[in-house]
Amino acid sequence: MNNKNQINIFIVEDNKVFTLAMKADIETAFPKMLIKIHSFETGEKCMEKFMQVMPEIVILDYHLNSKYPEAADGIKVLDWIKKANYKTEVIMLTRDDNIDIALKSFKHGALDYIVKTETKFRKINYSLFNFFKIMEARRETKIYKFIVIAICLFVAIVVGIATAIQIFSPSLLK
Amino acid sequence: MKATESENNIQLSEPVCDFRYLIDIVNGKTYLISGIMDVFLKQVPEDIQCINEAITNTDYKTIKSYTHTMKSSVSIMGISILMPVLMEMENLGIAETDIEKIKQLNLKLKVICVQAIDEIKKEKLNYNHAILKKTINKNSKS
Repeated sequence: MNNKNQINIFIVEDNKVFTLAMKADIETAFPKMLIKIHSFETGEKCMEKFMQVMPEIVILDYHLNSKYPEAADGIKVLDWIKKANYKTEVIMLTRDDNIDIALKSFKHGALDYIVKTETKFRKINYSLFNFFKIMEARRETKIYKFIVIAICLFVAIVVGIATAIQIFSPSLLK
Repeated sequence: MKATESENNIQLSEPVCDFRYLIDIVNGKTYLISGIMDVFLKQVPEDIQCINEAITNTDYKTIKSYTHTMKSSVSIMGISILMPVLMEMENLGIAETDIEKIKQLNLKLKVICVQAIDEIKKEKLNYNHAILKKTINKNSKS
């Protein structure tokens, strides 16, 4: 079932234990949200499904070549994602507290950069929580935009009708 | 996975796993804990096998990759005793040096993993019992 309000999250991580734990943690942290999590071991496998699902957010590990030595690294996959859909947000994950990778990630369009310390899952949930808030704000902005446009159109129509009446049969307004 | 004689020289007196972190992240849901343990029990022996092969072939790149990825798995199971071992192996892998030291650390890694797997298997049995009990209760109610 593909619901309109469903949020699709992609996890790209080559460690199955970590992926499963992260999936369980996210589902436990946001029980009321309609979330569907898809997991992939490499960026290449993720991109095969990307255009079909168009996920709202991707949690992407930087090191993806433990089992597949030729697999692209996180920055390369981040570029592919942003090229395919710049609106998809990316949270970069890594075990290295490396400022160069962090800066590179932000430069390439990552929303957040999380180091896999003991509090990693809390940090991921916090980042997701912020993202959901941004999504909600965007949705509300869209609704307000629509309301303002509708009011403007209504006023324009009323003014138009009044002007037309004044021009063509001014006696009606007397 | 069984420990060899030289591996048995490394003695472990206390439990190596601490499941509190795992229980916390899944909010105590038994079926999730059991599922994650299943994947761990399948993945870790494969990772160790790959590290063994990499050591035989003096393939530092693979040693680095697998020790790096294993750190995530062992942190979920709270095997903190393994972290410095894996970190040292990874650093030696990055530096592409001292295969003899890597071999020594690998022995320690294997012994700790054998014990961890044993503890996880025992713990998993408890969760399986809990799941079974829940299912029986559910069925008897309906």
